[in-house]
Amino acid sequence: MPADPTRSRVTIALLVVPGLAVIAFSLIVPLGLSVYYSFTDSAGFGEFQNVGFDNYKTILTDDPEFWRSLRNVMLLIVATIFIQNPIAFVLAAVLSRLSARLSQILRTIYFVPAVLSLVIVAKLWVDVFNPTFGILNKLLRAVGLDAIAMSWLSDPRTALPAVIWIILWQGFGWAVFFFYAGLMTVPRDLEEAARVDGASWFQVYVRVIIPYLFPVLSTVVVIDVISSMKQMELIYLTTAGAPGQLTQFLSVYLYQKAFVAGEYGYGNALSVLFVVISVGFTLVVQRVMRARLR
Amino acid sequence: MTPRARRHVASRRVGMAALHVVLVFFALSQLFPLLWVLLYSLQKSGDLFGDALLSLPHDPQWANYTRAFTEGGMVSYGLNSLIIVTISTALSTVFSFCMGYAVARMTWRLKRLAFAAITLGMVVPIHATLLPNFLWYNLFGLIDTRIGLIIPYVAFTLSFNTLIYIGHFQNLPNALEEAALLDGASWPRILWSVVAPLARPATVTVAVMTSLTNWNEFIMANTYLASDELRTLPFSIIRFQGLYSSDYATQFACMLIVAVPALALYLFFSKHIMAGATAGAVKE
Repeated sequence: MPADPTRSRVTIALLVVPGLAVIAFSLIVPLGLSVYYSFTDSAGFGEFQNVGFDNYKTILTDDPEFWRSLRNVMLLIVATIFIQNPIAFVLAAVLSRLSARLSQILRTIYFVPAVLSLVIVAKLWVDVFNPTFGILNKLLRAVGLDAIAMSWLSDPRTALPAVIWIILWQGFGWAVFFFYAGLMTVPRDLEEAARVDGASWFQVYVRVIIPYLFPVLSTVVVIDVISSMKQMELIYLTTAGAPGQLTQFLSVYLYQKAFVAGEYGYGNALSVLFVVISVGFTLVVQRVMRARLR
Repeated sequence: MTPRARRHVASRRVGMAALHVVLVFFALSQLFPLLWVLLYSLQKSGDLFGDALLSLPHDPQWANYTRAFTEGGMVSYGLNSLIIVTISTALSTVFSFCMGYAVARMTWRLKRLAFAAITLGMVVPIHATLLPNFLWYNLFGLIDTRIGLIIPYVAFTLSFNTLIYIGHFQNLPNALEEAALLDGASWPRILWSVVAPLARPATVTVAVMTSLTNWNEFIMANTYLASDELRTLPFSIIRFQGLYSSDYATQFACMLIVAVPALALYLFFSKHIMAGATAGAVKE
């Protein structure tokens, strides 16, 4: 018998090699290839040339779509943190005071959009927002607001808010769920002590529960950042960046550049920046949150 | 009770009632688009253009569903989805079980590096791999094949699944495994007959979440598959929309047919899905 079976090299190799091989093949090698192609003028096929940092230079100095799509991602993060999260937190707080059964039914309902295919979610909202038969415009006309009935996803004034709305709606169940799970960990005597001291419910939440839950809240903020960066399908399948690139997001932009415009090298440069921004931003937010924890 | 206390109780009641209204309002807003689609999937397409805000299907058009099923290519798309989801879920579950065990329980030198590779998979968006993988897979003849979709479906669920297993194993006492090791049992035996049964709750979570993710997946299928015979279920919606662009009622039926298996999986296993989501959140 070997000295310590938990150090058996053969066993460890057999356990980890298949999984790591798949990750290397589909994630790590491709990221390397993406860096390689980002320095070329490849169209995705045929011959291509090395162009050094040209793609990056163009992106950073001469590509308003890049900056706009970056701004839109930031807007989505801000909307998630300051609109979706507070509503979800309040609902989760109320849910945590209901009977277990009722709260479970409601939480199950809130989560339904999160388990639907994004193809379905996108099509659902394209139809709800449809200018002629969509329920939203019908509702507005029914209450006499004909003036603001419009084609939500193609009007430059409303397209971006409408797309962001769809994303917030789809992720709402997750937010409620995270906050609810966090609230369930708050010890009862913590808030009871505050109540005995004469604090109102509002004060209990602001002074006791929210500070107690700060680690959970900061985790949610990190998740908000990661998941906002990862949004692509809902935009691609609703507006695809239109009208006039107003609803463009990085993930969609790089895809269109490579596969529609045929600028594969340029698309890869966008893709590399996309990874750097996603990972970098996530790490920064994580650091800031951890620093505040101490 | 003093009048003041009574007033206090009354205002608490009004407050609670108001909160209930808010809760129900949000529940409705989360379900409403789906209910709207359900309502009109059973009517004639023209009914959708009527003046009524909502109308009930007085004469249910079940034919919409049969048309969606046959002309939407549900059988072929559905079969493709079933094959791809089953194989990728099985592989992802086994691989992540093994990796999770090795990371949580065994001692090796490159563990930190392996763990970094696993967490990288949580942060890097899939969309950043679509471009390079298109050429890379093509090099191996994997574009437009089922295997070419199964590989990324395994790869991009592995990180999350491995983290769930690691979390599970860290909370599990290892007395049973040690006893088995002392008895001289081999590793495959220990993993299969001692560890696997103990890991069952995590395995259910992993299997359900992986199936759900891959059942719903669209953008990789859209990028790596070209021929219609290989495409998966979400494409039936897009295909139908293209072929019968004015037949909204049948498009709605099509969406609901695709949604039902995912919804059923969710309702049956919601506890496991929530457990998985918690584990994922804690790890991130």
